Amino acid sequence: MLLTRFWLVLVGLGLGMAIFVLSIAQSVHNRATARALGEGLSADSQVVAWYLRDDARMRAGHLIKFALDQDIAKGLQGASKSETKLPGAFKDSVLSALKKINQTIPEDQAFDAVFAIDQHGRVVAQVGYPQAQGMEDFELGGYPVVADALHGFIRDDTLVWDRTYRVVARPVEFEAGAEPAGAIVGARIIDDKFARELSARTGAAVAFYVGGQRTAAGAPEEFPKSNLDQLISDLDALEKNDPDYKEKGRSGVREIKGVSSIYIQYTRLQGEAFQLGAGYAVARMGVDVKTPFAFFAVADDKDKAAADKILAFGLAALAVVLGLALTFLEHTRPLRKFEREAAKLGKGEIDQLSPSRFGGIYRKIAAELNDGIDKVASSAGGVSRKAADLTQVLGELPAQPQMAAFSVPGGDLVPPSLVAVGSPPSTAGGGPNPPRRPPPGRPPGAAPSAPSADPEAEWHQVFQQFVATKQQCGEPIEGFTYEKFRVTLVKNHEAITARHGARQVKFTVYVKDGRAAVKASPVG
Amino acid sequence: MGAVALLPLFLSTGALAQKIIGVVQGQLHLENPVWAEAKDPKVKAYSFREMVPTVPAKHRKLYPHLPKEVCVAALADAPQKAQEPTLIRVGGGRTTPVTIVVTPGTKLVFKNTDPFTHRLYGVGMPAFGPNDTSRGGTREWTVPGPGKFEIRDELAPSLRMWVVGEPNVKSITYPTMKGEFFLNVDTPGAYSVQAYFAGEKAGAPVAATVDTADVKVAPLVIGTPQKKGDD
Repeated sequence: MLLTRFWLVLVGLGLGMAIFVLSIAQSVHNRATARALGEGLSADSQVVAWYLRDDARMRAGHLIKFALDQDIAKGLQGASKSETKLPGAFKDSVLSALKKINQTIPEDQAFDAVFAIDQHGRVVAQVGYPQAQGMEDFELGGYPVVADALHGFIRDDTLVWDRTYRVVARPVEFEAGAEPAGAIVGARIIDDKFARELSARTGAAVAFYVGGQRTAAGAPEEFPKSNLDQLISDLDALEKNDPDYKEKGRSGVREIKGVSSIYIQYTRLQGEAFQLGAGYAVARMGVDVKTPFAFFAVADDKDKAAADKILAFGLAALAVVLGLALTFLEHTRPLRKFEREAAKLGKGEIDQLSPSRFGGIYRKIAAELNDGIDKVASSAGGVSRKAADLTQVLGELPAQPQMAAFSVPGGDLVPPSLVAVGSPPSTAGGGPNPPRRPPPGRPPGAAPSAPSADPEAEWHQVFQQFVATKQQCGEPIEGFTYEKFRVTLVKNHEAITARHGARQVKFTVYVKDGRAAVKASPVG
Repeated sequence: MGAVALLPLFLSTGALAQKIIGVVQGQLHLENPVWAEAKDPKVKAYSFREMVPTVPAKHRKLYPHLPKEVCVAALADAPQKAQEPTLIRVGGGRTTPVTIVVTPGTKLVFKNTDPFTHRLYGVGMPAFGPNDTSRGGTREWTVPGPGKFEIRDELAPSLRMWVVGEPNVKSITYPTMKGEFFLNVDTPGAYSVQAYFAGEKAGAPVAATVDTADVKVAPLVIGTPQKKGDD
C-alpha cells in the first residue's frame, strides 16, 4: 500500500496547495479590484468634474444671447441709475426678453432660472425662481459670482440656497467702454434629473449632497438603486479622518461594507458650496471575494464559461483513476490472489500456502497459516507435516562437528552461520522456527542427498533438487547455472572439511521461510 | 429699501439738522475682501473664471459697492448715547450695509430678506452664536462695546459684515455710486469725518465744523494705488 499512501499524501498536498493558491488568488483579486476600482473612481470623479465645468461653460455661452439683448441691457442700465428704489418701468421689458430668449435654448441646456441684475446687485427681473416672486428687494449682488460679472468676468459657481444651484454669470454691457450695466445670471438646479443626465453621460453612479444630506442621485441601470442611500453614510467619518478631502476637496477611495461592498470617492463641488461641505460622490460596486470559495458566488455565467473545465475535470479524473489503480494493484489484486490460494487450500488442491507467491503482509499471513495448520495437524494426532528428521533420512550424524548452511549464488541468501545439527533453521529474527516439511513434489529419497563416491554426480543431483525446490517455491531460476552452484559447493566443501577434518560433506536441499536453501553437514 | 433709507434711524430728533457734504475718492483702489478671496484659485470657488475683454480694465477690479460697503461717520469730540435700533438687511449674499459704525449699546435688527434661511453668528462672540433666521424673520443683537465685530453666516460663506463700535459717532451715511455723501448733524460743533471699509478706517479723516449752515468738507481719499500703474 506504499504507492497508495504516497498517492494519498500527494493528493493531500495537492488539496492544500489548491487552497493556498485560492487564498493567494483571493488576496490578489481583492487587491487588484481595489486598485482598479480606485483608478476607476478617480476617473469617474474627474469625468464628473469635467462634465460640470463643460456644462457650465456651455451654459455660459448661452448667456451671451441675454447679454446682447438690447431690451435687457437698456433695462439694466436704466434700473442702475436709481440707487434708492428699483424703478418698475424696466421690469416688464427685461422679463419679457428673459422669457423669450430662454425659450430659444435647447431643452437639455436650458436654465432653470435666469436673473437680470443691475449694477447695485438688485434683481430687476427673473424667470424660474418663484420663491422670490413679489419680493421687491430681492438681490444677489453680494455673491462673488455676481460681483465678478458686474466687474467684467464670466465665471461659474455652486450656490446653496433652498436647493443647490450650478450658476453661471456674465456682464451685460450697454455702452462700450463703460462700466457694465448689470449682469445676467443663469442657474441650473442640481436635482435627480440633473444627476441622471450626468450619470447617463459619464456612466458613473453619482450622488450630490449638502450638509450631510443627499440632495440628488443618478446611477446606471446596473447599479442597485437601493445603494444610492448608502453613498453618504460615510460623510461624518470623512470630514474627520480624511485631510485630503478637507484640504484638496477629494477623498481617497472609501469602502462601505455591506451585503456587497460599495467603493466611493467624494469630491467637493467647486464654488461657494465647497465651503459648505457640498459635493458629489461617485460609486462603484465592489466584487470582493470574502473566502477562497466565494469565487463561485461572484463568478457570472461568462466567467464560468471561460473556465478550463476540460483541464479541471481531466485532472480530477486522472487523480481518481490513479488512486483506483494503485488501490487495485496494492490491495485488490494481492487480496484476490490470496483468496484464490486460500480457496485451493480449502479444496485440498494444495496442502499449504506458498508464502513466496505473496507479497507484503500476505506472505507473513501465509507462513503463519502454514505453521498453524502444522500445529493443529500434529496436535490432533494426524500425520505430521513437519520436515523429515534428518537423522532418519541422512543416518547417524555426528554430534560434532556442526552443520553449515550457506548461500547459493543466484539462489536464496542464507546466512552462513553454523547451526547445531538437528536444530531447526533459525528465522531472520533469530527466534525458533518450526520444522518444515520438504517442498511438495520433491522426489522421495532425492533429498537429502547422501554423500557418494562421486561428489560431482552428487552435486549435480543437489543442483537439480535445488532448482526443483526453487521452482516449487516460485523463485526465478533464470541465469542460475550449475557452474555457479558448483563453485559455492566446492567452497563450502573445502571450508567444512578443513574446519572439521571430515572426509566428505553432505549437502541437503530444504526450504527456509518459503525459499530454497542448502545446508552442508560433515560426514566421516 | 437701500442703505440711504436707513439714515433716519441714525438721526437725533434735533429740530434743525445741518449737512456735512463731501465726496469719497479712490474707491477703485479698494478691493472687497470677500470677492478678492473668492477669486483665488486655491479657494476653489469656481471651475472657470475669464475676463470679458470689452469691459474696460479699470472696471475689471473688485472695488466695493459704495452705497453698501463704505460707511462715512461724523465723530464728535465726546462719547454719544446709543442710537435707535438699526435695521440690517440680510440677503443677496451680503448684509446691507456691509460695514456700519455705531455707538456701543446700539441694537441691530437683522432681517432676512432672502427666500431661504440664514444662520448668522458673531466671530468669536459666544453671545451671538449661530441661529437660524427664516425668510422674513429678524434677529437682534446689541453692540456690546467699542471695537470691531464681524458677523458671518454659516449658510452663506460670502456673507461677512463688520460692525464698528465707536463711542463718539454722531451720525453715519453711505456715499452714492459717485462717491457723494451727505451727513446730517443736528448739533453744531466740531466733527471728524471718517470713512470705514470692511471694518477698518479707510483713509484719513477730515475735519468739519457744523454751525448754522451746511458745510462742505475736503474729499475723503479712501484708496490709493497699491502698485505702479494701478490707477
